[in-house]
Amino acid sequence: MIICDSLCMSYRVGHGRKRVLDNVNLTFERGDRVGLLGRNGAGKTTLIKMIGGVIVPTSGRIVREMSCSWPLGFSGGFQGSLTGYDNARFIARVYGRDYKDLRGFVEEFTELGEQLRMPVKTYSSGMRARLAFGLSLAIEFDCYLIDEVIMVGDRNFQVKCHAEIFEKRHDRALVLATHGADYIREYCNVAVVLRNGQAEVYQDIEEALAIYEAL
Amino acid sequence: MSGLREGWDSQSRVVKALMLRELTTRFGRENIGFLWMMVEPLLFAVLVGIMWTYLKGPDEHGVGIIAFVASGYIPLTFLRHSFTRCVSVFLVNGSLLYHRQVKVTDFILVRVLIEFIGGTMAWLFIAFALGILGYIPVPAYPGMMVAGWLLYGLVILSVCFVIAPLSEVSEVIEKILPVSTYIAIPVSGVFTMASWAPPGVREYLLMSPMVNAMEMIRYGLFGDYIKPYYNIWNPILVSVIFMTIGLVLCRRVRRDLVVE
Repeated sequence: MIICDSLCMSYRVGHGRKRVLDNVNLTFERGDRVGLLGRNGAGKTTLIKMIGGVIVPTSGRIVREMSCSWPLGFSGGFQGSLTGYDNARFIARVYGRDYKDLRGFVEEFTELGEQLRMPVKTYSSGMRARLAFGLSLAIEFDCYLIDEVIMVGDRNFQVKCHAEIFEKRHDRALVLATHGADYIREYCNVAVVLRNGQAEVYQDIEEALAIYEAL
Repeated sequence: MSGLREGWDSQSRVVKALMLRELTTRFGRENIGFLWMMVEPLLFAVLVGIMWTYLKGPDEHGVGIIAFVASGYIPLTFLRHSFTRCVSVFLVNGSLLYHRQVKVTDFILVRVLIEFIGGTMAWLFIAFALGILGYIPVPAYPGMMVAGWLLYGLVILSVCFVIAPLSEVSEVIEKILPVSTYIAIPVSGVFTMASWAPPGVREYLLMSPMVNAMEMIRYGLFGDYIKPYYNIWNPILVSVIFMTIGLVLCRRVRRDLVVE
């Protein structure tokens, strides 16, 4: 279970502060597949980073009673100057996993081949996404945090993700921020719409999508 | 208790991973970066030693000048490198904060630890290289020397805990750091000994934790050829104070840190 308890987040802007999230309360259970919807700047990434522990809320707290991946997104998580293998080695050490097992899975899942010997900064977003997914799947988290990046993968990657996350690991939780209505429809059973700093929870995906489209 | 144990395991894993990562990014796989860390103090000790030999004679207050320069320069390099490498360290390593168990304090600890290991290796390297030629004596009290070096390391680490978060808040720190380390040389004990100073001045010199630690290092190296002045509580107390302030600052700065 993950509990977000009265989360507030404000960023410093010039002399004032801009409030992005204002008293957000959410609870996710194992097996929940949460779609995060909202306009650009509504706080989707902020909320995901907060759940992942990357940024600290201005006030409120997060209780994590299951292991939670780092936010899989367009940036962060990797050291650009290091190769794919070096990053894998680092992540294996930090999470206390055996590098050899991790490496085997990552090679097979990412299909990046020789590219894994190149610095991560030379990767395209699709390749980064492959590496991030490969690593976090090999580590086996209870909850996966995905910020947009699933959309940049090619057809082959989509198929693999579907098999690994939605079939093999259907009991895990998932928080997915995306603008792709189809993804939400296909994968999520709960939707959260972020607007004006508030989070509204909808059990009915179609209802949430209708509200999102009218924003 | 088990929570504490888990935390300790997780932190030691992180520190180890960060150390290995830092070594690969900094020194790469092919070049001889780590060797430079040892060769640089050696060159300095030899060249400045030769210069001083011509200017002042081969001995300084009864001890060999090359050994004296070497024993002062290694801690000075350690101090300077640690301070500069701590500036903006949170920002530079920001992408690693995506992994929740990685803490900002780990970044500081790892950078200082690497400099400390480099400095220790420089000691050993110089001791062998110049020891064979008879320029560096066998340490009279090795335990004292090690204790002094460890205390010196502790002081630098605690100061880095303050520099790192402050540099994140204001870039003034980065600008004034080189000049302040230069101005601090007289109170660092690097090229002087407390016994050379008149008693009135000595009193003030001994307020500096670096001077106290340097006196211990030199006493351990040269033994009773020199008259040391030190109080081990001074560096310990100063470190505890800086560490406490630093940890509070780190916590504050982490809250507002914008991680891309």
